[in-house]
Amino acid sequence: MKIELISVIGLLLCLLIIGILYILHYRLAELQDEHIARIDNIRQRLNIHVEGVLFAPTESSRQLEIQALAAEINGDFEVYELAIQAIEQYKGSEHHADPEKMRRLIAQVNEQVNPVEIYAKMLDSNDVYHRGYGCRRLAELGATEYREQIAELVDDKHRDLAYNAAMALCQMGDTERVAAYLISIQNDRLYSGRLVNEFFAKFTGSRQELAEKVFETCNPYMRCTVIKTLGEYKIDAFRDMYMQGAAGDDFQLKIACVKALAAFGYPEDEQILQMAAQDKDWVIRSSAIRGLSRLHTSTALATVKRGLSDKEWWVRQTAAQVITNMDISAKDLEEILGGYDRFAADAMKAVLYRTVDTEG
Amino acid sequence: MGFLNAVRSFIVVFNFFCMAFTLILNIIYIIQLFVSLVRVHKHYDKNFSDDFHSYVDSENLLPISLIIPAYNEEENIVQNVRSLMKMNYPHFEIIVVNDGSTDKTGELLVKAFHMHKIETSIRYQIPTEKIEGVYFSKEYPNLLYVHKKNGGKSDALNAGINISRYPLFTCLDADSRLEKDALLRLSLEFLKDSRTVVAGGLVRIANGSRIVDGELKGFSMPKKLIERFQIVEYYRSFLMGRVFWSSTNSLLIVSGAFGLFRKQTVIDVGGYKRNTIGEDMEIVVRIHRYMHKNHKKYRVKFNEFSICWTQGPMSMKDIRSQRRRWQIGLMDTLISHAGMTLNPRYGFVGLLSVPYNWIFELFGAAVEVIGYFLIPFTLIMGELNMFFFIIYFLLSVALGIILSEGSLVIEQYTHRGAMNAKQSIAVSVYALLENFGYRQMITVFRMEGIIKYRKLRKSWGKIKRKEFEQ
Repeated sequence: MKIELISVIGLLLCLLIIGILYILHYRLAELQDEHIARIDNIRQRLNIHVEGVLFAPTESSRQLEIQALAAEINGDFEVYELAIQAIEQYKGSEHHADPEKMRRLIAQVNEQVNPVEIYAKMLDSNDVYHRGYGCRRLAELGATEYREQIAELVDDKHRDLAYNAAMALCQMGDTERVAAYLISIQNDRLYSGRLVNEFFAKFTGSRQELAEKVFETCNPYMRCTVIKTLGEYKIDAFRDMYMQGAAGDDFQLKIACVKALAAFGYPEDEQILQMAAQDKDWVIRSSAIRGLSRLHTSTALATVKRGLSDKEWWVRQTAAQVITNMDISAKDLEEILGGYDRFAADAMKAVLYRTVDTEG
Repeated sequence: MGFLNAVRSFIVVFNFFCMAFTLILNIIYIIQLFVSLVRVHKHYDKNFSDDFHSYVDSENLLPISLIIPAYNEEENIVQNVRSLMKMNYPHFEIIVVNDGSTDKTGELLVKAFHMHKIETSIRYQIPTEKIEGVYFSKEYPNLLYVHKKNGGKSDALNAGINISRYPLFTCLDADSRLEKDALLRLSLEFLKDSRTVVAGGLVRIANGSRIVDGELKGFSMPKKLIERFQIVEYYRSFLMGRVFWSSTNSLLIVSGAFGLFRKQTVIDVGGYKRNTIGEDMEIVVRIHRYMHKNHKKYRVKFNEFSICWTQGPMSMKDIRSQRRRWQIGLMDTLISHAGMTLNPRYGFVGLLSVPYNWIFELFGAAVEVIGYFLIPFTLIMGELNMFFFIIYFLLSVALGIILSEGSLVIEQYTHRGAMNAKQSIAVSVYALLENFGYRQMITVFRMEGIIKYRKLRKSWGKIKRKEFEQ
């Protein structure tokens, strides 16, 4: 009897849960339809205003349309973003081909709508994701007056919020705080590698200063990561450090420095790159060959050609890819394609098929 | 008399075993549902501030090779490649591997994309059948067509891996469609956590949906009942099971229709296993095994916002063949990696995920089918209380509805706009109806797979599918 009673209670409980789930499902579905209808409605109204703004015959009528658009947005960030999307749809169109004109138009809309205020309110939200979003949007709008408030969020325990706040500071070019943030995550290798890349790419201040600040207190891992990232920005001030690293014994530092030096393409680096091309590590050899391909000397070409028959596949592939950018003579090409080294020939053919019209 | 009594006692005990088994299984499912609800809610919020579109031009995004193994896919292949070319992803290449098709798959591709044969260097890191030709077109520089001797889907995938250039690859079915942002969303799993070696996306049933260039343009309820039931089934399987298992880093299967892999890891484990029809599950289990054995940190992830559309079988014959294959694939994988079962060396995977798959996913079908026959038989024999039988039946149906309806709530919450409210509610009716016949039928097909394991374990079934509406 006891089991049966429990079973009946269990069944009733299940029926109750089913009822709740059905109501929840129905309500969510209803909300969804309401949301879609609302967005469609807003879009239609926004399109009318946006057309009015874009195609206004006079400046005064444009101002009136912008005011109407601002009233429609009414401090709602979602509506504001839809409005900007609607304006940007006209980018590159016949009447709005000039990006500068478009930018000015958006600035005029922003003046009326004051999106900074909308996003600033988000910083006080209880939801960490809303706060993070607010930080990023404020940075995009150049609202430097909120820098201090954003900076406080960098120390937040919630990793996503801290990341978004730090990224916002990065977009504002805040060297001190961004460097401090990078140092704070340097021991988390799985995380910091990606962030260094992203932060240096988005940083609006001096990358050299940011790197110098990081180098002051960072660990060897962070140093290598930053050097690898800096390669593409070709900062001359660090060349001595790269040269020392490339000639040194620290394996990871050597990889980073050779990669960074290879990006410059300076003839005076040839000797050091030639040495790196003989290194026992294939990553170093591959970077060196990429660097040598940027130098238009016969000795560099000879080393890159030798790279086509390297024992490591990636080095051969790099050599095949980069040699097509060098001043290679028809004789050299013939020699490689018809030579005894099958891989060198095949690798070259593969790259040529992709870069030269070989049909017919 | 003594023998009869023994049989009778056995039947009664077995009945209770069946009931307990079903209840325990459903309780596990409800825990999965609850964990999934919490996780999906968290991911949904996180997605808000992630602003994944901002990564489109990120230097950090890893380029991806999209490998499409094709065997007699002349109906879909050109359309699929065209759709993939419109993906919202900065660097990717498409490699179609024709596994010795006997139809016009290759000819159609070469003609449609003006391709010509080239000589190229292939890095043979995984042994495969002979590659007979590689085709390329200057007009479509990110497309390669590889023609090889027939060797099966795994062999075609391995050939694609050998010829691919990029560090990540995804295997795609020739009859599936990816949503425009699917690759971008899935690749972020690798970008944000460098330990990620595999990530799977959500596969949804496309029957009834209109998908144009990777965008859902409309949904109407598919005509056949079994297609409608599959919609519910896929939501349950992906939004409940996979979200839960990925949260414990012990997801054992990433759909063959859409999974993103770190190429070097797949090469390290020796590529896809040949002569198995459950290659998608087998490779993931092997990766788990390899990573644990070598004490490497890794993650197998699932992203419920990264969507791939696939055509579900439309006939009973096809669904039977599909489910038999899935069950055989599961059994083959579990037998191949039996050593992982309850082995603490493999952590959560060995202690929980593999045993769960043995007990509930594999033998669960057998227990359920035996129960279908034995319980009514016992009832007729008068060994079972009628009241108890009805309560048990209603309980198992009610639990089934909770799971399906729960998954639909998650779907409604995460993918707003896929269906309107009316359609969404209509689908929930099928969450109820599927418990009366469809689920039982699927269980019988799964059981059939177990019985015919030895006979069918190396054969591929071809399923007739509709073309995607364009």
